[in-house]
Amino acid sequence: MGRIALIIAVSYGTVSVLAIVFLVWVGVSTRGNQPEPDLRKIGEREKTWFAVVVVLLAVLLFSTILFTPYGRSAGKHAQIEKIKAIQFAWIVPGTPLKTGTPVEFQLTSADVNHGFAVYNAGGKLLFEVQVMPGKTQKYVYTFKKPGTYTILCIEFCGVGHAHMQGSLTVSA
Amino acid sequence: MNHVAPTPEPLAPGPELERARWIAFRYVIAATVILGAAGILGVIMRDSQAGVDRVPDGWFYAIMTAHGLGAFVGWAAFAVMGFAFWVLAQVGFPLTRTAARLADAAWWLMVLGVAGVVVTCLGFKFGASWVFLYPLSFHGAGQWGRWTSFFFSGSVLLAGLSIVVWCLSILTVVLGPALHAVKRSIPNRVGVAIGLGYLAPRRFATNPRPVPYPVIPLTVIALDMIVATLPLAVLLVEMMVQSLTPSVHVDPLLAKNVLWWFGHPVVYLLLFPAVAMLYQLVPKYAGRPLVAGNVISIGWALAVVVNVIIWAHHIYIDYPSGSPQAAINTAMQPLTFSITIVSALSLYSLFFTIYRSRYRWDAAGAAMFLALVAWLLAGLSGVVNATIAFDQVVHNTLWVVGHFHQMALLMIGFVIFAGVYAWLPDLIGKPLYSDAMGRVHVWLTFVLGTANSALWLWQGLHGAPRRFAVLPHQYDNITQAGVPLAIGLGLTQILFAVNIVQTLRGKGVGRVADPKRSRRVVLVALAGGLALAGGSFGWAAGTEATKAWAGSAASAPAGANPALAAGRSIFTSAGCSGCHTLAAAGAHGTVGPNLDQKKPNLALVIARVTNGGKVMPPFKSSLSATQIQEVAAFVVASEGNG
Repeated sequence: MGRIALIIAVSYGTVSVLAIVFLVWVGVSTRGNQPEPDLRKIGEREKTWFAVVVVLLAVLLFSTILFTPYGRSAGKHAQIEKIKAIQFAWIVPGTPLKTGTPVEFQLTSADVNHGFAVYNAGGKLLFEVQVMPGKTQKYVYTFKKPGTYTILCIEFCGVGHAHMQGSLTVSA
Repeated sequence: MNHVAPTPEPLAPGPELERARWIAFRYVIAATVILGAAGILGVIMRDSQAGVDRVPDGWFYAIMTAHGLGAFVGWAAFAVMGFAFWVLAQVGFPLTRTAARLADAAWWLMVLGVAGVVVTCLGFKFGASWVFLYPLSFHGAGQWGRWTSFFFSGSVLLAGLSIVVWCLSILTVVLGPALHAVKRSIPNRVGVAIGLGYLAPRRFATNPRPVPYPVIPLTVIALDMIVATLPLAVLLVEMMVQSLTPSVHVDPLLAKNVLWWFGHPVVYLLLFPAVAMLYQLVPKYAGRPLVAGNVISIGWALAVVVNVIIWAHHIYIDYPSGSPQAAINTAMQPLTFSITIVSALSLYSLFFTIYRSRYRWDAAGAAMFLALVAWLLAGLSGVVNATIAFDQVVHNTLWVVGHFHQMALLMIGFVIFAGVYAWLPDLIGKPLYSDAMGRVHVWLTFVLGTANSALWLWQGLHGAPRRFAVLPHQYDNITQAGVPLAIGLGLTQILFAVNIVQTLRGKGVGRVADPKRSRRVVLVALAGGLALAGGSFGWAAGTEATKAWAGSAASAPAGANPALAAGRSIFTSAGCSGCHTLAAAGAHGTVGPNLDQKKPNLALVIARVTNGGKVMPPFKSSLSATQIQEVAAFVVASEGNG
């Protein structure tokens, strides 16, 4: 699992457990003959809840919005790798790629939408981006380790989709 | 904003109530039949992915397309669209003759649309998965032709028109005299119907009573779905034309935006009517009015606008050079976050309506409570999707599949189950066959469905792509763990079907079973479900996953002859395996000819690889002449040698 995926797993897992504890509490509260709560007061507190939700969302927004993949620049010394997708193959020019220097992928498609997803030899998803016919999609990534990386198509592209694999070789 | 709406009175018996009864009944029965078909297709897919009973890739994608549209639109949307009329009748809004005619037309359009989808997918192998992947419909790679694409787009168009006509029918009802709006102007009445009267009581005055809460989400979605669907309808007409006249086409990025302009709000075509049902039923089951219903109107005032301007969170990782898409996508994150406020406020109100009440835990009550649980869990996994920094690693993975099954099956589906258990007896005037059977059904479905979604979420976090007929082997053990869950989920629905059929046959006796005994039955079922889920999880955790990419070029033995080894490596890396079967290369593609059976000669292979064939692309620009020689030599040497 990648680092971002791990963050998602831990935070989603934690919040879900808290949510379930709250739900069990609500469910159990209907058992027995508990006195009627002050519904007016609970109703008033919904405004506080509203404020809490807004604050939580704002925190999540400001802590994540700078980490989008948009507008990344590879700099002057980037290695350019032009890859073309067709149903159902990745046409990789095989330019020797090196670790440590940013690679600017320039991705195009000859036919339909494809998804360029790169996995390391251990099967971990490193990054993904869409490839649209008639457009050039760029993605900048710096490989840290040498080796063979597998490309899968992660956007459904037709009957051969699951077999649309390619590979990239990166040396030190 | 302090006045609380009194419980509105249902329609008095009469032709208007009878109309609503008949319309709701027809929608729900048709939708439930579609659920049966779509559910079977879902189990087939899960089994096939796990290798239990493998269907060829082409059929897998055709089944996937029929399952997705069938379950989402044909079942979930269709069922809540029908229940909407019954909800309105329950809060005193008469189904006028005009509205009933429109509702009737919408029913026929939906039935014809879904039938068209089923025929084009299961009869003619259309497998482009909805229409969102424009221009995939026109690139069937030999699996489907232009007429199939034409009829599929046409079928989706019928379903889209059904939605628009339904919206008109709902608007006719909610803006009618039962609204009790003081002012006559249409914009003012619309404002009243979306609940603005709770925020500005003078401006949006009503007399004698404020708008009932369930009316608000129905009005909001009826307005939004018209705005959302009309551009889609235009594009679908274009797609029908393009199927037959390929020179006509639109920019794929524009098409994608138009498709998601519809694709996002259509999710709320399921959610908002389901919420209207909850606003109506939960207070009844808790025996008290909806807590702070007036506060939720803030959320709905926001939703009516925001719903139709957050489409692009579905295309966060499309941002081609020279397009403004990155900026649009970035703006979508705060907008999408703001719509979660609607859910957050509604969930608060609904949970505290239940809190310490004498809540009725019968089949419908349990289904509603579990729907709220699923809404919370699905909402939280949805926040992950809405966050660009997170979406970039879960987009198009099975995480998304886990998320929308939490939402569509476990949230919307459970509100539908609640609607059937609570209202089917009212709709047909016969008692429910068995509430205990209903409770076993909902608890077991919830446990198995949640476990099933959890597996997908987990696989997605590990980068497992969605819409793969055959997943890479590293995901095999968890995929296989899903099989007993999917089969269990399917079998549990038999209880639902039996209950409905027996109720329709009048076999219900209308007496409540011994509560202690039926509680024991439910607990046993629940324990069984948990054991099955736990067993599947344990098995997945205990089985060591196959190391990554087994069978791919990097790890497979190359063979004795080095020249052939080079050819083999080209075969696997240039994508030949995507379409062809050749055992020596570990290739099982089914798009193109099976090379082990066809045994083409060297000249033919070289010619086809160089210049392409009917469906096959030419490789002369991507492979050198030597590479083509090498791959051809390998193919000819290996044919039939698997």
